[in-house]
Amino acid sequence: MIDVERIVEKGIKTAEGLGASEAEIHVVENSSVSIVATRRGIESVGRRSLLTVDVRVSLGKRVTVQGAVVSSEKDVLDLIERAVSIVKVVPEDPNWVSLPRNCGYTPTSGIVDNKVKNMDTEYYKSLIVDVLQKPGHIDKRAFASEVSVEAGTLRRWIGNSYTSSAMTYEKTSFFFGVAVKAVEEGYEGSYHSFYLAPTLKEFDPDHLVEKSTTLAVASLRAKPIDTGRYTVVLAPRVLAAVLRALLVPAIRADQVQKNRSPLAKKLFDKIFAESITIVDDGAAPNMIGSAPFDDEGIPTKRKTVVDKGALLTYLYDTYTAYIDNQESTGNAFRAGLGVPPAPNASNMIVIPGTDPLETIIRDVKDVIVVHATIGEWLSNPVNGNLGATITNAIYYKNGESVQAVKGVALSGNIYSMLAEDLVTLSREVELVGNMLVPSVCIRNVSIAGR
Amino acid sequence: MLEIAEKVLNMALGKGARDAVVRVQYKTYESIVFDNGVMRSCSISRVSGVSLTVYVGGVVGYSYTSVLDDRALARTVEEALAIARTVGERVPEQELKSIELRSARGVYRTDYKVDPLSVDLDTKTKLIGTLNSESMKKEGIVSAFTRYGFERDKKVVVSSFGSNVGVDVMAIGVAHTAVARHGEVVERVYDQKTFIGGYEYIDSFDWASFVDDINNLAIKTSQAPTITPGTYEVVVDSELVGLLLHEAFGHASEGDIVYAELSVLRDKMGRKIASDIVTIVDEGLVQGGYPVPYDDEGVKKERTYVVKDGVLVGFLHSICTARKLGQSVTGNARAQDITFNPIVRQTNFYMMPGDAEVEELFEGIEYGLYLRGRGAGGGQVDTSMGTFTFGVGPSYVIRNGEAAELVRGVIVSGNILKTLMDVDMVGKDLSISTSVFGGCGKDGQMVRVGGGGPHVRIKKVVVGTR
Repeated sequence: MIDVERIVEKGIKTAEGLGASEAEIHVVENSSVSIVATRRGIESVGRRSLLTVDVRVSLGKRVTVQGAVVSSEKDVLDLIERAVSIVKVVPEDPNWVSLPRNCGYTPTSGIVDNKVKNMDTEYYKSLIVDVLQKPGHIDKRAFASEVSVEAGTLRRWIGNSYTSSAMTYEKTSFFFGVAVKAVEEGYEGSYHSFYLAPTLKEFDPDHLVEKSTTLAVASLRAKPIDTGRYTVVLAPRVLAAVLRALLVPAIRADQVQKNRSPLAKKLFDKIFAESITIVDDGAAPNMIGSAPFDDEGIPTKRKTVVDKGALLTYLYDTYTAYIDNQESTGNAFRAGLGVPPAPNASNMIVIPGTDPLETIIRDVKDVIVVHATIGEWLSNPVNGNLGATITNAIYYKNGESVQAVKGVALSGNIYSMLAEDLVTLSREVELVGNMLVPSVCIRNVSIAGR
Repeated sequence: MLEIAEKVLNMALGKGARDAVVRVQYKTYESIVFDNGVMRSCSISRVSGVSLTVYVGGVVGYSYTSVLDDRALARTVEEALAIARTVGERVPEQELKSIELRSARGVYRTDYKVDPLSVDLDTKTKLIGTLNSESMKKEGIVSAFTRYGFERDKKVVVSSFGSNVGVDVMAIGVAHTAVARHGEVVERVYDQKTFIGGYEYIDSFDWASFVDDINNLAIKTSQAPTITPGTYEVVVDSELVGLLLHEAFGHASEGDIVYAELSVLRDKMGRKIASDIVTIVDEGLVQGGYPVPYDDEGVKKERTYVVKDGVLVGFLHSICTARKLGQSVTGNARAQDITFNPIVRQTNFYMMPGDAEVEELFEGIEYGLYLRGRGAGGGQVDTSMGTFTFGVGPSYVIRNGEAAELVRGVIVSGNILKTLMDVDMVGKDLSISTSVFGGCGKDGQMVRVGGGGPHVRIKKVVVGTR
């Protein structure tokens, strides 16, 4: 066993002793258990446990990050030695100022669940066995094609040349997914629901199974519709995917600074309709992106990114904040071993509207409710153009379902879809990973079909 | 490495494992990144250790350690067995199909002249830095991101099935993303070039022209119109055929997905699922692809026919899925590294060439699209339904049988079985490529793959924009 707190402090001193101007040691211990089942029963149980270390050192304006999977103190010291030897030969970064000097904690609640932490395999197995039976009870045409659970505990430590000691926190994560398939007379429909949060507080497996079953059955005879322009409702998970693909990259300060965002020079401009307000909250209870500090030790914050349609801020880490003479917004994230931190969204919350979804469907009269898409991540964040393929949708006329839709391509631009083409936002919201979002009704959306 | 692998195998068998596979691996990845003229990353990451997979009645137990002392190895064996026994023998041994397992013995090493890790760091950073900063000077380019990547994957696999193999593969390359602006239109184009071998390929290739081509394509794309969404007759180039087959069809042919009844192909073995002129294979060693001579269970990876003359003839398998479905092992069990258990993965998945000249594919198309893979954004598929979507690179309108103006922001959608049925011509060309910057992600694991094929013509494809 490695005494991580001691090695963080020792590592910083070692790096400085070897000649680094500044050093940062970032350690993550990740343990998880995962179970996957099909309709035939449990297929696999896996346990993973990994200790990884990233070392960031600077020497004047030279900086480097080196990372490794480690199993001993010697591995960490070797990594530090390698980082210092590399930093001496890399080119200078003219934008480099310093490692974070204002590290600290934000009080957070709802990020640890002892039941998740215990990784009780028997509990998860009985949960899965129970869930496998349910779709068939709800509708004889349906069965659970895949059920999966992953419970994990993460502990993060970080320290740098300006912290007095190693900072640390613990967080749990729980994922549950259920895919349901419906089969009838040669037709097939499927839908996948999931829950992802630090705790089991809002976990309702019955609701997820019912939703998957209902939509799988409703999609049985889905087919393409004619090419044209339609009014659509994007369900929360679709809106979340669209925001993740198009808005999040555009509000990252690094992308703005590198001319890869259409929102460059748009600060305080109206980018969306008045009814759109979006908050990034790094300390929201029971949201998967919450933590007391970000991946470089800066306290997380709640900040309004879009207020009544106006863009108020970009998301910063320390490096990009120095470039714009701003303060970090506590949005530093590390994408992998040896990769420098970069800004990203923590938890994104879209403030809901006032109309129930049912009323919107009834009032709009001719509307396609899109429950799931694939490929929305192929959209182009440098210009805001959305492209996705609809896998589950229902076409409503006068509030009545007339046809299930699939296999058509949906296109548009987020900066017109959520501005002049926005009809309304629903009152209901849904937790979709690190996003809490309503449904959104948009007119004039291009669909390529028959 | 071999000594440790054999020690762990004997420990596992001695503790009651009926069958076991041991991997000892040493994997290194070197990366240099320049972004808008500034070096953002220069790192060497390593994963090394030993992993053990044990099989108990159709259930797999798996464990690994990066510590190679006897205590850690013994604990790894105990953990793998405990995990397998946690689930229990859900599928009794007698219900598992008996399959023929041919043991493999041999060593495969990539030829190389210059070890990239022996090359001065300064030389590499200067090359990538220059490519990146020259791009930024080009009129119309507003952002540029250039990467150097090198990976060495060295491993030994031994098994109770009698396999004892060694693999040592080096892959090296450069990737570049250019963002161009024309008025209010901003477009990006990404491409990469990977070689299997050492630094001699970096020294001998004209990277300046490679990067300049990407910059020029980004500039032209930013000036190009978009197309009207709808259904088109299309010619698809080799690169896009590879992407499309891998995502939309290859995953559906993976044995674990078939067994779990999550594949659109699950009940179609022996049935016609594609046009007669379509033959699709998965092959471990192929020119231009990523070498997989043996899989991570020590099984030799040879050519596996998945579709032959339009008929579904095979799936891809690990030992576990082959036993469950009573089919032959195909050498497709692969893991990202020792921290993951191998699962069924593709290796080099591609369409076999046909007999048409590429020009013939364009003939007779009055108004269609020539869909290109360069700069494509990847794709996604719902394997259970066969629905797919792809971001396509900058492409060309086809007018009266000839490629005409460039168009931007194309995506395609469809159902893979219907699309394969609609293939009406297959070119005689063949191009296969791989990437050291990406690969295939499945269940949280990334492995290097290769893919490609000939040019093909498809009668009807739904096209949208992004």
